[in-house]
Amino acid sequence: MRVTRELALAVPPGALWTLLWDVPRMVACVPGCVEAREVEAHRRYAARLTQKVGPIRLSLPLDVEVTEVEPERRLALRARGRDPRIGAEVAMRVTLDIDARDGGSVLRIDAEGRVLGTLGALGHGAIQRKAEESVDEFGARLREAARG
Amino acid sequence: MTRLRPFALDRPASLEEVGALLAEHGADAALYAGGTELLLLLKAGLLRVQRLIDLKRVPGLADITADDGTVVLGATARHRTVERSALLRERCPLVAGVARHVANVRVRHVGTVGGNLAFADPHSDLATLFLALDAELTLWSRAGERRVALADFVRGPYETVRRDDEILTGVRLRPWPAGTVSAYLKFGVHERPSLGVALAATIGPDGAVAPARLAVGCVGPRPQRCPEFEREAAGRSVAELAGRAAALAEAAADAVETTGDLHGSADYKRDMTRVFVRRAIEIVAARAAGEDPHARYPYTVVV
Amino acid sequence: MPDIRTPSSCSLALTVNGRPVTLDVPAHALLLDVLRDRLGLKGAKRSCDIQVCGACTVLVDGAPVSACTYLAVEADGRAVLTVEGLADGERLDPLQEAFIEHGAVQCGFCTSGMLLSAKALLDEDPSPTPERVVQYLRGNLCRCTGYRKLVDAIVACGAARGGTA
Repeated sequence: MRVTRELALAVPPGALWTLLWDVPRMVACVPGCVEAREVEAHRRYAARLTQKVGPIRLSLPLDVEVTEVEPERRLALRARGRDPRIGAEVAMRVTLDIDARDGGSVLRIDAEGRVLGTLGALGHGAIQRKAEESVDEFGARLREAARG
Repeated sequence: MTRLRPFALDRPASLEEVGALLAEHGADAALYAGGTELLLLLKAGLLRVQRLIDLKRVPGLADITADDGTVVLGATARHRTVERSALLRERCPLVAGVARHVANVRVRHVGTVGGNLAFADPHSDLATLFLALDAELTLWSRAGERRVALADFVRGPYETVRRDDEILTGVRLRPWPAGTVSAYLKFGVHERPSLGVALAATIGPDGAVAPARLAVGCVGPRPQRCPEFEREAAGRSVAELAGRAAALAEAAADAVETTGDLHGSADYKRDMTRVFVRRAIEIVAARAAGEDPHARYPYTVVV
Repeated sequence: MPDIRTPSSCSLALTVNGRPVTLDVPAHALLLDVLRDRLGLKGAKRSCDIQVCGACTVLVDGAPVSACTYLAVEADGRAVLTVEGLADGERLDPLQEAFIEHGAVQCGFCTSGMLLSAKALLDEDPSPTPERVVQYLRGNLCRCTGYRKLVDAIVACGAARGGTA
């Protein structure tokens, strides 16, 4: 699945950049993210994601690796994890590009992912939709967090 | 995995007992009737439960009854019962006709109307047709009962507004008035339908359509009505609609939300919607003129 | 979530091919496994395992069900018919005779399901048209015959007898 979005935010790129590295605040922004911790500063993080796709509950540990860092401009990461209970494996790539605009920022999100296993095969349509909802929700929460 | 993981089976004899079991076990339990969707999820390992709460011993839940101009299908009524119901054949013959073609004959004997709607697989004939019948679902819980229009009940693929403590107990259908000519077209090569089109035109004494109802399902996240089509069609004669069928179908298809999946791309589904809405209009027009075209199209069931 | 420690065990009393059978099964046992593994009735086959192919078809109180996706406990108090119950000793059921006569069997894997579905059809509609047969059998898949001879056999059986004995 792939989701791209563009958000206008009220904070300048510098403040946004700081927010993006604030792990506790980011946990609150990512829907379904129940915990995250830094393993290696600015390089590696461990998180746990829970989601519901119809009646099916997904809960997986995510190994997050930061692949690109351009201060105040671009942040790219890779994440993978597996829910052994339902045999679902998730792999995703997220790129965040920041531009300054009108005293604030424009954030372009490009999230691409795969779900492998039975869930991926059966739930394709539902997963794409859930991914879009999650990115939209992330955007809304980020906007809130940027304000506060 | 072909074997199921162990679970306990509860067989409550009343809704109150079901409610108590749900309250006690929460997400460890799943409601069970026919099991034609639930058992597949359990076999695939996508769902794990400790208990199944069997609804089939709750009295009255499988009944099909008339109530004040509407028809109520109990949630645990099997598709087979719907197919053979004298009441439905009289009041909503298209429902009985479509039930005859749901899935395969084995699923029709075991699967239930409520199970089909509560699971909310987008590829559902019943959800599509019921939308054109302004269906209303009844949800019971210990906190009370509420009615939800089908249009509001289904939020997306496999997602409904039913809370975990609620039980879907029935579906209320509003039979179309006398003078309604209708058709249901079901298309697909897979076990589940790729496209469903339900069209009903109520024809007034002056020969004008008042109203038209068009529901398109299986191609998007939820079944959809086509309000622009219905507005366009109102007041016209059926012959006029047939004359403009291609244009009307194109407009309807453009307005429908389609999702790509194993049944085809979003564009393909939009294309097929256009084709089958046009065919539905033509069939309804022929039926209104007293002819039955016995139309046959590849991989299509016409009811 | 811990796995359940005390799954339900259910005591079943049913008839299988006309004979009374009592046995204890766990709630999660599938009818197909009980028939094949507990009762030694191997006619019903596990094929797709998702109830779409019909190779596991058995009749429960005359109704065709996918035994692969049907809990054994649902058969309690009911009459189950498998393909082994069609013949009476050496005397084949008219459907079986028709299948042989019309060449409707090749590898035989779908045959059990086809016979039972056909029986259920003829019990309901003793002289079905070819179209009705095709519609009814839509959920029974065959990889060998191309279906024509299956339909011919069932239609002929219906026409000849007005239903199976």
